[in-house]
Amino acid sequence: MIEVRNIDKYFGEHHVLKDLSASFEASKINMIIGKSGSGKTVLLKSIIGLHTPENGEIFFDNREFIHAKLSFKREIRKEIGMVFQGGALFTSSNVEENVMFPLDLFSKMTKAEKLNRVNFCLERVNIKDANKLYPAELSGGMQKRVAIARAIALNPKYLFCDEPNSGLDPQTAILIDQLIKEITTEYGITTIINTHDMNSVMEIGDNINFIFEGRNIWQGNRQEIFNSDCEELNDFVFASELYKKIREKVR
Amino acid sequence: MLTALGKYVVFIISVFKKSVNFKIFFKRIVEEIEQIGIDSIGIVSIVSVFMGAVLTLQVAINFVSPIIPRYLIGLTARDTFILEFSSTVVCLILAGKVGSNIASEIGTMRITEQIDALEIMGVNSASYLILPKIIAALLTFPLLSLLSTILGIVGGFLIALTTDVVTVYDYIHGLHFAFVPFYVTYSIIKMCVFSFIITSISAFFGYYTYGGALEVGKSSTKAVVYSIIFVLVFNLILTRLLLT
Repeated sequence: MIEVRNIDKYFGEHHVLKDLSASFEASKINMIIGKSGSGKTVLLKSIIGLHTPENGEIFFDNREFIHAKLSFKREIRKEIGMVFQGGALFTSSNVEENVMFPLDLFSKMTKAEKLNRVNFCLERVNIKDANKLYPAELSGGMQKRVAIARAIALNPKYLFCDEPNSGLDPQTAILIDQLIKEITTEYGITTIINTHDMNSVMEIGDNINFIFEGRNIWQGNRQEIFNSDCEELNDFVFASELYKKIREKVR
Repeated sequence: MLTALGKYVVFIISVFKKSVNFKIFFKRIVEEIEQIGIDSIGIVSIVSVFMGAVLTLQVAINFVSPIIPRYLIGLTARDTFILEFSSTVVCLILAGKVGSNIASEIGTMRITEQIDALEIMGVNSASYLILPKIIAALLTFPLLSLLSTILGIVGGFLIALTTDVVTVYDYIHGLHFAFVPFYVTYSIIKMCVFSFIITSISAFFGYYTYGGALEVGKSSTKAVVYSIIFVLVFNLILTRLLLT
């Protein structure tokens, strides 16, 4: 379980996260949703330590992260897999080298064992015969899948995804969602996804946090969204006519 | 200005902290030697041969007095190359080629979140990406300087061989005349200092790039401009310290 307690984050004068608290359940898909500029990405990057909040605490299974020593932070980071919005694959390395990179750094496997693990991870994300291709030669969906393969290479305890469906067509987006769902269930990973794709939320979200102007103003599951009386959440989720009709039917 | 200097010092300290195991680190150094050193051989060679030839021609044309011995043409070409061209001028060229390459490479890695990906994996990204570049430049720039000196002198020799502005005998006699071995040491010291300046300043601007492609371009330009300025300033300081 990951717990965020009363964090504040400033960029100069701009107060982005305001006394924000949230909890993310173990072995579930936890969603962070909200409008663009609401602080979702800053929250995600604060949890993984790319931003340091000015106040508050973050716990990874009761281990405090923000104020921990750098060496301890690096140990926790080894338990984290991250899928960035653009994939963040190393452009000068091919698919195989990208997925093998964390294994080279932190595992004591032999070359053959590492290659087996790479092939297993690539097969798991349904990528075949692409080991020697470079990121520039892959489609957006394939890049995301390779990024997922790299993120799971070291069997992480926590998986973070920053808008995994951005820039993808609806069919590929569903495939990526299903893949994340399967991996989360299969390996018991605590997954946190930052998104504003409501299809994704309704498909796979177990625990949903709604961020509005730097505050976590609503937390619940996808069924509870339909009966919520949180005005800001309703404005965000049911902005389209389609979702308004779905809500009416569900109610 | 002071804030930027402080940020640079903090950056350099983080560059010299441990990042990954030696095997991976060594592989990175080899890759960088190829990218920074070997890939620069072509431009350094072409510029050096032509500048050596032109310098010899210009000196020969201007040394018209009968009291100036003709062998001084060879001496002038040799000392100009050892003292200034093969270190300072070659570094100004490398600031353009290598410096802009480093800044744009690291800047692109920053804006495409590749550096964040390294940090998340528990890697000290500054050290992993930049220290191999600094080491590669420290190893290869002095060799490029020696190559430049040799090829510059060869360029002058070709002029002596193919024209009548100076005889081959006078040119070679000039190359041997009053040779000061310390000048080579001075040139190598300058190259080491300049290689650190170029790689660290360029990496600094690349590492702190925020935004998009436009900002990568701006970082690249800043890297070249500041590298050139600091190479020129340190050239003056080192010359004052080592030669006077």
